[in-house]
Amino acid sequence: MKKYNYFLVTCLVILFSITNSFAQDKEAKITLTFTKADSLYVCKALVTSEGKPVAEVPVNLSVKRLFSNLPIGDAVATDSTGIATFEVPQDIPSRNGKLTIFANIIDDENYMNAEASGEVHWGTIVASDNSNVDERSFSAGRDRAPIYFIIASLLIIGLIWGTLFYAVLQVFKLKKLGIVQEIKD
Amino acid sequence: MSENRNRPDTHKHETFTQEEYMVMKDDLLRPIEKIGMAGKIWIAFLMAVLVAGIVAYIIQETKSKYVTTSLRDYTMWGIYISNFLFMVAIGLVGVLMSAILKLTNFEWYRPLSRIAEVIAIGAIMFGGISIVVAMGRPDRLINLLIYGRIQSPIIWDVIGITTDLAACIILLFIPLIPSLVTCKNHLKNLPKWQLKMYNMLSFGWQGTPEQWKLLKKIMKILTALIIPLGVLICTITAWLFATTLRAEWDSTNFGAYFVSNAFLLSVAVMTLATFIFRKAYNLEKYLTEMHFDKLGQAMVLMALIHGYFNINEYLIPAYKMSGLHENTLLNLFIGKQALFYWSVVVFGIIVPFLLPLFPKMRKPIPLTIISVIVLFAGWFRLYLIVIPGLLQPYLPIQDVPASWTHYFPSAVEMTVVAATFAGLLLLVTLFSRYFPIISVWEVAEGELEGKEEIFNYK
Repeated sequence: MKKYNYFLVTCLVILFSITNSFAQDKEAKITLTFTKADSLYVCKALVTSEGKPVAEVPVNLSVKRLFSNLPIGDAVATDSTGIATFEVPQDIPSRNGKLTIFANIIDDENYMNAEASGEVHWGTIVASDNSNVDERSFSAGRDRAPIYFIIASLLIIGLIWGTLFYAVLQVFKLKKLGIVQEIKD
Repeated sequence: MSENRNRPDTHKHETFTQEEYMVMKDDLLRPIEKIGMAGKIWIAFLMAVLVAGIVAYIIQETKSKYVTTSLRDYTMWGIYISNFLFMVAIGLVGVLMSAILKLTNFEWYRPLSRIAEVIAIGAIMFGGISIVVAMGRPDRLINLLIYGRIQSPIIWDVIGITTDLAACIILLFIPLIPSLVTCKNHLKNLPKWQLKMYNMLSFGWQGTPEQWKLLKKIMKILTALIIPLGVLICTITAWLFATTLRAEWDSTNFGAYFVSNAFLLSVAVMTLATFIFRKAYNLEKYLTEMHFDKLGQAMVLMALIHGYFNINEYLIPAYKMSGLHENTLLNLFIGKQALFYWSVVVFGIIVPFLLPLFPKMRKPIPLTIISVIVLFAGWFRLYLIVIPGLLQPYLPIQDVPASWTHYFPSAVEMTVVAATFAGLLLLVTLFSRYFPIISVWEVAEGELEGKEEIFNYK
């Protein structure tokens, strides 16, 4: 019997792998619903597979930002009715108040990756105060440097380079003094 | 004995005769007339390293910098910039050894001033070149001047370096004028072009009292100007870092820290140069043990000052250990860079502070060895400011290729840096081959204590 052990284990491993791969091939569908409960923003993700709700599937929630999605909290597992409930923070900034919220299943043991998204008006509109853009300041562009700074800079540069030019001119004066002495001699 | 003590100091200078002045001229001008085999080999070696650096730079510019250098998104400044900081630091040697000592009437500066000024010019020049080689697009250098913001420390660095370089060249040249006449009159066995060059550059110097008066006046103005200029470029260089968003550089102490470091390195580089010129050109009579003693004392003072700023730079942030500084500081104190950091503290601050306290350590050989150690530690101290600082940005490093997370200079970078040192040494060597490296008239004037007799010694 012992000589068949290796063969049996190999068969079992293959069988397990096939079963496992079939299990992972199950498709799941996420349906998002957004509700306001009291003063809270609630997002519910219903996970179904072949029309039936599935329990214990971790769902991740995220919100679209400029370059990629920002996760909202940790993953939440679906309950016996197939619903994962999330509380969405009320202070997520947005230009026009719109937020695109994503729910997804990633690397689950039984289900393939799935994603759903929905748009809600739950964002906090951020108004940028650009009134100081045209002001002269240290942080402004080259044409908006503070006047006093430009004057002070030019004064310092002028004084130093002026002194250097004066020194060079004095070298020529040295030459003149030498010529005068030569004539005297 | 008591008679000797009571005798006025001027008496001993009465023994300084025309003959002695001729001997002094012979001694100080000899290196221009004779160049030995060792000198030729030394120059050839420096030229070879310089050429290797130029070739390495051409390779860097013609092939992808991603391949030829180890510079990446995070470490966009590598050893080129730490080398630039080192060059700017030793460029302060002219300020310390020539200007400050001169204005404060420390007479021992006299034989050292020209050596210091030549090193300063070379260091500032090759410091500037180090910035250009670090640029991703050197062809856009001109855009710095055309489109630069006057509020930016980068513009001020460019202005500061060019101004300081110009001032140092003028300050070197003006006291050189009387020496050029001495060369023209005293040295006969030289090629005609060299004698013509001395004649042309001496600007009709006759040594009249009016000319001496004018020369001294210009020298005084430039000497006073060079001090704030030197401190300025060191401070602006520090501000380049202090105004960049990195935790390690977020310091109000950086300007003073860099200046104190520069003064310490200046003393070290001056000691090394004095030792080399003393031995190579047999100038023991002029670069005496007294100079090493004084330089040793200056080294203790500068190490103490730099140690004080170093404590301010690291101890207070370490005491608070705020989240921003924690990564950088722990990395330096007990992390990957700990051995490196503590070696730099010991050899770059503690050794130059403690050892020269003993008079035996202020003799030429021990002090030169200490200086070499200080210079090595100083170079690596600046490396430690640049590289770990860049590798600790405010936002954590994530999802990047492995080569972005660490830095080790490539062969091309190391060759180019070696070439900047070779270039500096070559400049100093060639200068000392064509011009008197010790100012004859300044040393003679020192002997005569500024008496009018100097005018007779043409």
